[in-house]
Amino acid sequence: MKIVRLVLRILLILITIVVIYPFVWSIFSSFKTNEEFLASPFSLPSGLYLDNFVRAFQKSNIAGNFLSSIIVLICTLFLVVLFTVPASYVLSRYRFAGRRLIKSFFMALIFVPVSLIMIPLFSQMSSMHLLNNRIALSFVYAAMLYPFSIFLLSGYMESIPKSYEEAAEIDGCSPLRTLVYIITPLAKSGIFTVVLLDAMNAFNEYAIALVLITDQAKQTIPVGIATLYEAQRYATDWGALFAALTIVIIPTVVFYIAGQRYLIEGVNVGGIKE
Amino acid sequence: MSRKNFQRNIFISFSIIPPLLITLVFLAIPAVRAFCLSFTDANMIGIGGTSFTGLENYRYMFSDQVFMKAFRNTVILLIVVPLITITVSLILSEILHRGNLREAGFYRVVFFFPSIISLTVVAIVWSFIFHPTMGLVNSMLDFLHLSQMKRSWLGTAETALGSIAFTLVWQAAGYYLVMILAAMTSINNDYYEAATIDGAGWFRQFVYITLPEVKNIIIITIILSMSGTLNLSFTLSTIMTNGGPNNASLVLLKYIYNQGMTNGNFGYSMAITVFTLLFSIILSIAVQKLQRREEAV
Repeated sequence: MKIVRLVLRILLILITIVVIYPFVWSIFSSFKTNEEFLASPFSLPSGLYLDNFVRAFQKSNIAGNFLSSIIVLICTLFLVVLFTVPASYVLSRYRFAGRRLIKSFFMALIFVPVSLIMIPLFSQMSSMHLLNNRIALSFVYAAMLYPFSIFLLSGYMESIPKSYEEAAEIDGCSPLRTLVYIITPLAKSGIFTVVLLDAMNAFNEYAIALVLITDQAKQTIPVGIATLYEAQRYATDWGALFAALTIVIIPTVVFYIAGQRYLIEGVNVGGIKE
Repeated sequence: MSRKNFQRNIFISFSIIPPLLITLVFLAIPAVRAFCLSFTDANMIGIGGTSFTGLENYRYMFSDQVFMKAFRNTVILLIVVPLITITVSLILSEILHRGNLREAGFYRVVFFFPSIISLTVVAIVWSFIFHPTMGLVNSMLDFLHLSQMKRSWLGTAETALGSIAFTLVWQAAGYYLVMILAAMTSINNDYYEAATIDGAGWFRQFVYITLPEVKNIIIITIILSMSGTLNLSFTLSTIMTNGGPNNASLVLLKYIYNQGMTNGNFGYSMAITVFTLLFSIILSIAVQKLQRREEAV
């Protein structure tokens, strides 16, 4: 049994290396000069060569990309929280005509990737004069995130005991007050999980952002990084490229370490509730 | 009482209508629009107006060799990637679930990480790993004295699609591991104890206790993995290979993009969109039906 466990441990360590190495290698490469990178791509950096980061900011629009991503992220999360919480509550607690239909409508959309409709979306947004509009992009992201968010949160709310609301109703509390003062605090960790998962999805989305935002000054991080990579293919300033990648990887790692408990819980709940 | 009922109905309407409306405007209407325009020769700049062409786009689609190639590549990815991803996730979850390792929680956190990082970043980093001269894969082959196996992984028709498939598995396995592991953790431990007393080995316990208990979650992860693969293959195909070489790694979404955005053939691009939409819906219904039938047995 000890031998088996040792073999398992070695296997897991090897997989850990396969998982982590690409990121560590990118971060190391961001501290190397281009000559150093070409001569020995796999060695440790000989020093902290920070000039790459300066050039990354100069050559790309990464600061502007971050700003765009944050604008889109904040609008998207606002739309998600504002509308997902009441909708999930109503779908999990109230019985009304069309409830099943609305539920299955959202359920069906969970499995259809939004990037499929990028061309009709482009043509529609173009005729609505909403191209290169980051707020409009947030609405598309909100639409893309509602199905899964509502599914996850209404599942979470179903597990809250009904006695709290019954007590509130006897006291003459209106449905809105019940939602704001009783349900929302009780569902806090569920809402937080939804926000984290949605933030991650909106921040990383590529296809729709690529199609709807063509103005380089307004591009989000994933599109901006891809544009930089495309340019460096010919300019071959790998140092600046890796610095830009590192600028994206490091905040993601920090965000992940801070929120991993809720992210993982969200994935768990989403799967089991089916 | 009626005032209360009125209040209730207002509350329901205000809760349901906004997200429903946003979803309809930005998801459902574009899908309907795709359907309508797929019967026309609409183009991006609108030169020559738009005229109704009936099923012409669909007829052309099935004689279009590039479309057939993209469809074939997508089907290959939709079979291979979920199969390998879920198998890897299942094996790793079983190890973390039954291995009795103190550090199991740590591995769960580490393996999950690739699924939360931007896929654009993943695509760029893996382009370097598969790079013919600076890439890790070829350097490892040199190190292992297998230099004759070296190649330009993304630049060779035989390996480009496979390299994308590998990256997709690497990216997603940890996500499904977390889902499957959660289901495994909720299995009652008494089953395993009883089986151990009866002399059942680890493998038999896996087949007769673990697998039946997590069967539903496996079906869900397969559906999620297929829809994820369809979606994410676009990013990898665009950034890592640009669909090449010679369309060897072209996928449906990339071809939709090329026809719509690069060539401006809206009508044709929408026809492929409608086809892919129907294809993905039928696929997910088929897998769910499979699950129901299994349950009935």
